Amino acid sequence: MTSSRAHEVLYESEATLRLVDHELHELRSSPDQQRLPVLSDLPGILERANSQILSVLSRLREARASLQSSASEKFQATHDKLKQVTSATEDAAINIMDACDRASQMVDELDAIDAAPEPDRIKAAELRGSLRDEIFMMMGALQFQDITTQQLNHTSAVLVEMEQRMLDVAKLFDANGEGLEMEGRAYDDIDDGTFDPNATVTNAEGRQALADEIFTLTKAPAA
Amino acid sequence: MKFLVVDDSATMRRIVINSLQRIGYSDTVEAGDGQEALAKFDSSVKFVITDWNMPNMSGTEFTKVLRSRADGAHVPVLMVTARSVKEDILTAMEAGVNNYIVKPFTPAVLKEKIDALLPAVAA
Repeated sequence: MTSSRAHEVLYESEATLRLVDHELHELRSSPDQQRLPVLSDLPGILERANSQILSVLSRLREARASLQSSASEKFQATHDKLKQVTSATEDAAINIMDACDRASQMVDELDAIDAAPEPDRIKAAELRGSLRDEIFMMMGALQFQDITTQQLNHTSAVLVEMEQRMLDVAKLFDANGEGLEMEGRAYDDIDDGTFDPNATVTNAEGRQALADEIFTLTKAPAA
Repeated sequence: MKFLVVDDSATMRRIVINSLQRIGYSDTVEAGDGQEALAKFDSSVKFVITDWNMPNMSGTEFTKVLRSRADGAHVPVLMVTARSVKEDILTAMEAGVNNYIVKPFTPAVLKEKIDALLPAVAA
């Protein structure tokens, strides 16, 4: 149900109920002999009022069903996204800790080589190379931060959208909508262009293979 | 060889720049979005590595504008992005991107893609 249609139905219902109220008031205040013509109109007016109220209830049920359906899907997607953020953060932390453990062991081995009467320079060079690889692996693991930022921005955008939908429903009951505006300042920094709703840290190899396949099959522009 | 690294994430810019240094490229200039990248691009830049999702101007928009400039028409553009559905990859190609890396990436993949585009730089 669109907002304008909802306002229309509510307006018509309100007008009908006012008419009912007015007729009932007339009925109460009029002398007995004048009540008969008013009474004859009353069933029609009440029937109209009933129809309008049923229409409002029907529209409200539609709005509730629509909101319930979309909210359920959106909140499930948001929940999944937050689980991915938690998982990506934990995986990155574990990878970094594992790399720290390996790096620490290599430093111990380098110390042992240095302490030997005849240090094995070749072995030491290999260890230093491996140590650089571990340090670099730690740095690469921090890429999760860029992906999770995008996932969190997507989650924020979904929550803002849901709040806006809730406000739209609330406004159905208050045409002026006073006090129902969103506090825009908190959402100024959510820019749809800065995140990919499908951003993920999972299956990077598979996704890279798809990109490679497309670039191989479809001739990429010559540089 | 000078690289222009474009990403709105400071973390990602550092990771890309450190990866470049590790594979032997230390001459880099960085930008936080497409607009800044256009301002910093000149004929001394021989290779562009850009993200897609950025404020002000996206990586694909930046690439399109770059391709319309005489000094940017043929510079290799490598996109490094989290976007990885088929339609996105095709859109990047249409914008003028020469190759594509999916985040998270490894230095080995970065080196492979740069190596593949080096002949274009030499030409």
